Amino acid sequence: MGQYFSLSAASFLLASGYAGARSVLEPAGEEAQQIAVLFWVMLSGGALIWLGVVGLLLHSALFNRRRLAEKSASRIILWGGVVFPSVTLCALLAYALWLMPGLRPFAQASSAALRIEVTGRQFWWEVVYHPSQGPPVASANEIRLPVGERVELTLKSADVIHSFWIPPLGGKMDMIPGRINRLSLKATKPGVFRGPCAEYCGTSHALMAFSAVAMEPEAFRSWLAAQAIPAPSAGASGSALFLRHGCGSCHFVAGTDARGTIGPDLSHLGSRVTVGAGILPNTEDAVARFIARPELIKPGSSMPAFDMLPPGDVRAIAAWLRGLQ
Amino acid sequence: MSAAVKERSREEYKAQEERLRTVWANPTGWRYWTSVNNFQIGLWYGSAAFAFMLFAGALALLMRLQLAVPDNDFLSAEFFNQAFTLHGTVMMFLFAVPIFEAVAIFLLPPMLGAREMPFPRLGAFSFWSFFLGGIFVCGSIFFNAAPSTGWFMYPPLATDKEFSGIGADIWLLGLSFIEVASIAAAVELIVGIMKCRAPGMRINLMPLFAWYLLIVAGMILFAFPPLIAGDLLFEMERMFDWPFFDAARGGDPLLWQHLFWIFGHPEVYIIFLPAIALMAMIVPTFSQRPIVGYSWIVLAAVGTGFLSFGLWVHHMFATGLPQISLAFFSAASEAVAIPTGVQIFVFIATMLAGRVIFSTPMLFGAGGLAIFVIGGLTGVMVALAPFDWQAHDTYFVVAHLHYVLIGGMLFPVVAGLYYYYPLIDAKQLSDRLGRLAFWLMFCGFNIAFFPMHLSGLRGMPRRVFTYPTEIGWDWLNLISTAGAFIFAAGVLVVVLDVLRPKHRQPRGELNPWNAGTLEWISEPEENWGVRSIPIVRSRYPLWDQKDLARKVNEGRYYLPDAEEGWREGLVTSVLDAEPIQVLRVGGTSYVTIVSALSLGAAFIALTFHWWIATALAAIICFCAVIYWLWTGTGEIPEKPEKNVGLGLSLPLYASGPDSVGWWAMFITMVGDGTAFASLVFGYFFYWTIHADFTAGIAGPDAVWSLVAAILFAAAWGLMVAARTFNRRGATAAMRGLLVLSLLTTVGASAAGLAGPWSPGMEPTRHVYPAIVWILVLWVLAHGAVGTVMQAYCLARSLAGRLTPKHDMDLGNVVLYWHFLLVTAVITFTIIGLFPAAM
Amino acid sequence: MRLIPKQIETLWTLFTAPVVWAAHFLVCYLGAAIYCAKPELVGLSFSAVRAGIAAATVIALSLIALSAWLAWRQWGFGTDDPPHDDPTRRDRTLFQGFATLLLSGLSFIAVIFTAMPALFLTECIR
Repeated sequence: MGQYFSLSAASFLLASGYAGARSVLEPAGEEAQQIAVLFWVMLSGGALIWLGVVGLLLHSALFNRRRLAEKSASRIILWGGVVFPSVTLCALLAYALWLMPGLRPFAQASSAALRIEVTGRQFWWEVVYHPSQGPPVASANEIRLPVGERVELTLKSADVIHSFWIPPLGGKMDMIPGRINRLSLKATKPGVFRGPCAEYCGTSHALMAFSAVAMEPEAFRSWLAAQAIPAPSAGASGSALFLRHGCGSCHFVAGTDARGTIGPDLSHLGSRVTVGAGILPNTEDAVARFIARPELIKPGSSMPAFDMLPPGDVRAIAAWLRGLQ
Repeated sequence: MSAAVKERSREEYKAQEERLRTVWANPTGWRYWTSVNNFQIGLWYGSAAFAFMLFAGALALLMRLQLAVPDNDFLSAEFFNQAFTLHGTVMMFLFAVPIFEAVAIFLLPPMLGAREMPFPRLGAFSFWSFFLGGIFVCGSIFFNAAPSTGWFMYPPLATDKEFSGIGADIWLLGLSFIEVASIAAAVELIVGIMKCRAPGMRINLMPLFAWYLLIVAGMILFAFPPLIAGDLLFEMERMFDWPFFDAARGGDPLLWQHLFWIFGHPEVYIIFLPAIALMAMIVPTFSQRPIVGYSWIVLAAVGTGFLSFGLWVHHMFATGLPQISLAFFSAASEAVAIPTGVQIFVFIATMLAGRVIFSTPMLFGAGGLAIFVIGGLTGVMVALAPFDWQAHDTYFVVAHLHYVLIGGMLFPVVAGLYYYYPLIDAKQLSDRLGRLAFWLMFCGFNIAFFPMHLSGLRGMPRRVFTYPTEIGWDWLNLISTAGAFIFAAGVLVVVLDVLRPKHRQPRGELNPWNAGTLEWISEPEENWGVRSIPIVRSRYPLWDQKDLARKVNEGRYYLPDAEEGWREGLVTSVLDAEPIQVLRVGGTSYVTIVSALSLGAAFIALTFHWWIATALAAIICFCAVIYWLWTGTGEIPEKPEKNVGLGLSLPLYASGPDSVGWWAMFITMVGDGTAFASLVFGYFFYWTIHADFTAGIAGPDAVWSLVAAILFAAAWGLMVAARTFNRRGATAAMRGLLVLSLLTTVGASAAGLAGPWSPGMEPTRHVYPAIVWILVLWVLAHGAVGTVMQAYCLARSLAGRLTPKHDMDLGNVVLYWHFLLVTAVITFTIIGLFPAAM
Repeated sequence: MRLIPKQIETLWTLFTAPVVWAAHFLVCYLGAAIYCAKPELVGLSFSAVRAGIAAATVIALSLIALSAWLAWRQWGFGTDDPPHDDPTRRDRTLFQGFATLLLSGLSFIAVIFTAMPALFLTECIR
């Protein structure tokens, strides 16, 4: 069977992972909410205009039996082609321009209690939380934010252009090498959302996503506090194997000797909703399969395959990583 | 009149006709391919473009199969990425733009009552360049070497060799070559429409198709050069590691996005307007009345042409530019909907004021408009920055752009195919197959693309080779795939209808739709376009000038004969189309193929870094072009004037602004100037994004730069003097001044080189030296071309082909020098003085 | 010297108004972009940018109005309705006048659209 066979089974499980809204039209954030209203306004107006224009077109082509005088016909051009669109578009433009300053209030965001720095990499996301108090907290491939609080995101790229997007929360923002972009988001409903990379970034662009979790503020704060300290490690053999096979030269696991910075931070892998940058359910099986043959799951990934290891070792590493809650 | 006289005049008429036929005849056998006649070139161009379209369509079907179900492994990620890159690239560069060039080259001469385009060999050159470049780019996918970084080629993904292979070079060089072909076509179209209309065809009587094409050709002139400038920077980075887009050394990926979309958005209208132009010919015919709102169409075409240049940043709404910048582009993107609406209402008004015959072309036209309006409305939506932040780079945009391009371009083109097919072989396409094709295409299209709006809003990004199940995209994609195949079946029916043998079908009428415009009197069997060049007195001469067709075919108008054995046409004035000159155009020749193929070979060899082959091909191309110019242009006629009939005698030679060559040079240099302006934009772009854009690197020596500017100005002055002396008959002085100017140019170039050379600026170190060097090299390359021109004029003068009265070459070269002067002075002042001033 | 130029016989007058739009657009966009990239260079506040846009808009609209007036005059102050399709110099002139007038109208609207952002946005916001 095919190389992506693995994904099908995985995706099924994933369904329960993304528990919240997934569409632009089911907003769970302030920006998405306002844009959804804008969309419905435009859609209803657009539908009416389309019916009008196409109706007129069909009438004139099929049913019109009296020849209109040139002067009256010119008047149709003036009113239908110029006056009506100018007025409508002017109103619509004013509506959108009026929305713009409020949608991404960066002035407020700079005083936001939480800043999250996200760096796009082929094909995963490096995440660092900068709470107003306390030390920065590193993570990967998952964004958690408190409901009802404005969060500032600092978006960067380490290689090519990526784009950061959580559809139910708000619009996207590119991550461009050499530039630092900012985004300000405010979730209004709790949920688990899928955030895909929205700028084509190479072979596995399709397989670059993250899970976004909007949590109640209290739950969020205790989660962040837990993330700030090393996870209690269970299964010493997995830990030893992880280090022995050199995983630590690319990955960081807090509280261990694994201090790599090339790959995703795995300190609390067990607590994440998904693994493999938003594409696999967080199960021991999925983690093991990723370790053994990453290029089957994610073509073009820079992680080497570890299928030369005894399957038991891979299992043990996977089990240990899963245990890092 | 006695019978004998009548008999003699009939014989004379036969002889005239035979001479004319011989002059315009195509070569036979394999030499057929050296033909330069507009009918052949147009047909080849169009067929090639259609073939490329089918190829890109097949790629799209493969992609749809892959996306039919989640987690599919029908295609590999690598192949899928090549496929979508080629699909976009081919549809845009090898189908949408060339197909209109094809239609224009095929239709314009008969429509304007002209014999030919003003530069038939340039048209042939353009075709062969396009064809070779197209084969090269398309063929790459069979070697797994196709570009895979998207048709927009964003750096650093596309510039960095770590992320993208030779495909990126194939894209850049293959397409640069095609861009050159497009600009050549634009030059041809502008001069053809402004200067080669039939006498009496004032600008208020010009067919609307010509109005549109004039505007579109003008847009090409300003839209393609920024991309060519971008390609230059891009290839310098890929080939020589000049860091234009490398953030680590001061470059910025966004500069490419600016340059690409300054091209990319007008491009959409460059594609769309000619298709609407076809509608503007079809709708009056089937309403059986003149168009209502002729001036409104002109307003719409010109207005769209301008506004389309103020939209490019709406492709960059998510790049983090200041919102105030985004807002300006939102505003212009909304405004451009107004002229678009005007065009639709012009058609509605015309139909309301006439009685519509709902034929197959009208069916495609109306269906296309119904689709296009949806694309227009979603366009208004995504033009608003806030909504675009959500919709950008999702399937919503995929749906939007296909609604615009297929509704606004493909459907009208098929309408045009059904409408104009009788001009190709005097037979009509099948009405039944046409209607079947329409319904398959119309339904298939909507089934394929309408669900994409929803999949986009549900968060499906573009350019994904697969997607997981259970996130709400499965059945939408399955429906899209089914629709794509229904749509493809419709296209296939059109192809079958065109290809099916029609020899049993009787020859149809010359003007089967009872259309009113001139192209409908040209007989497909003849190559001369029109038997004699008529005097036009109406927008719809075939409706209003009752015996026009008969008189044209009896040779009663201008130039019914070719007694000197030349292919000839008339040059008329811009506004009122008063005849001013007889233009002798080039005939069948190998030189076009040789120069196109050698230029292509140079680009292809460059792709693979075969330096010697590149140099060889470039030398062959250079020699071919010089040979072409020497033998085929600025010919001194055997007599100053010629009787063109109806008692009118016109000069056979013109120079300066009266000549078409001068206009061609002017137009080319406007495009060239636009490319230069794009590079200057790049210079200041780097200045804005950095606190200190020099990064502490010593800039070019100000003294040397100023010396270069002054010397270039001096060389220019000497050229102007040379022209003046030549006109006064002081040939020796002219030759001396040419030599002097040539030497001054060499000195100026050396000084220009010394500017960045003396402080040792290394272009690979940082973007500042790189952009300075590229500007200097741009001027030096133009200086080198300038010296070739000077030497050419000198040689022409020595060979007696450039005389005080016949000074077209010198006039055109001086025009080139005007532009070179501006380029040089701007460059050296900026690079020499601006860093100090800041 | 005349204040208002006499009728000019050229195709290029057709493009006056859209060229004014293009110039206005560039001034607004480049001005704002440079200000937002290098605010310290100008040393002014964003209100100055808005005032500049307002001034540019007034100038552009006046120029377009002038072009419209000239076009209206060329069209004989609206005395002769389209289609202007007689094969005469007069109809050709009327056509030019009418088309130029229409383009002036479109450019007028487009300039107003372009200026609208300055009404609603009070800072660069990035």
